[in-house]
Amino acid sequence: MTDLYNRIAVFRAERGVSRRELAEAVGVNNQTIGYLERGDYKPSLELAMKIAAYFDVPIELLFSFQPFESVAESLRRAAAVGE
Amino acid sequence: MTLLEKMDRAVYATGIDRIIFMKFKPRALRWTPLLAFAALVAGYAVIAGSVASPNRTYLIGTAIFYGAFMVAAFLRLFGPRFTGTANHPLDERELTVKARAHAISGTALATFAMLGCFYMTAADLPGFWHPRAVDWMNLGFGIQAAGMLLPTLIASWMQPRPVADDED
Repeated sequence: MTDLYNRIAVFRAERGVSRRELAEAVGVNNQTIGYLERGDYKPSLELAMKIAAYFDVPIELLFSFQPFESVAESLRRAAAVGE
Repeated sequence: MTLLEKMDRAVYATGIDRIIFMKFKPRALRWTPLLAFAALVAGYAVIAGSVASPNRTYLIGTAIFYGAFMVAAFLRLFGPRFTGTANHPLDERELTVKARAHAISGTALATFAMLGCFYMTAADLPGFWHPRAVDWMNLGFGIQAAGMLLPTLIASWMQPRPVADDED
């Protein structure tokens, strides 16, 4: 089965949203958000779209079949472009 | 303090409200249902072996069997959530786990019943165990208990390691 990666934890940390707050906003148990972040559960399209809508970002920024670049790597690359 | 307030306080003190309103945290019960299963089978075997001449052994078997039945009913309450509440309905993951656990346990019980039917074709032959009326009744309760234990057991193994609340 194909792996599905996400960066819900990164978005949550950036916005200062707790797991419980996100869970309540999208209508799931907060354990389900924890399992999603840990990669133990793959969301339905409906849940994935709800989470993307909550963070107001396109769904492909949150979910991908390829592993996401680490934040440190993204910052290093952005700094290199800036120079 | 009025009588009603005293009764309210007694309910909270005993923790009965946690069961009635399902306030407790669901747990993954990966091994306890197996113990209850073992007790069910052992109790059933003891009853079946001593039903011809009911004695102390028969009573012990009955206590083990129906004790395991009660445990099965309680484990279902404390295991993974199969019933939502008004404030916390089951979400899509819990519904999926519930559906899969019940589908697998239903298949297992149907297979058991099918094998039992095949066995019964030979049960009249000499040397084969033939269930009596009491055995059939206990078998009915046993299947009912298995119907409560199996989904709890399967759902518990399907649940990943819980995420700690302090990770919030």
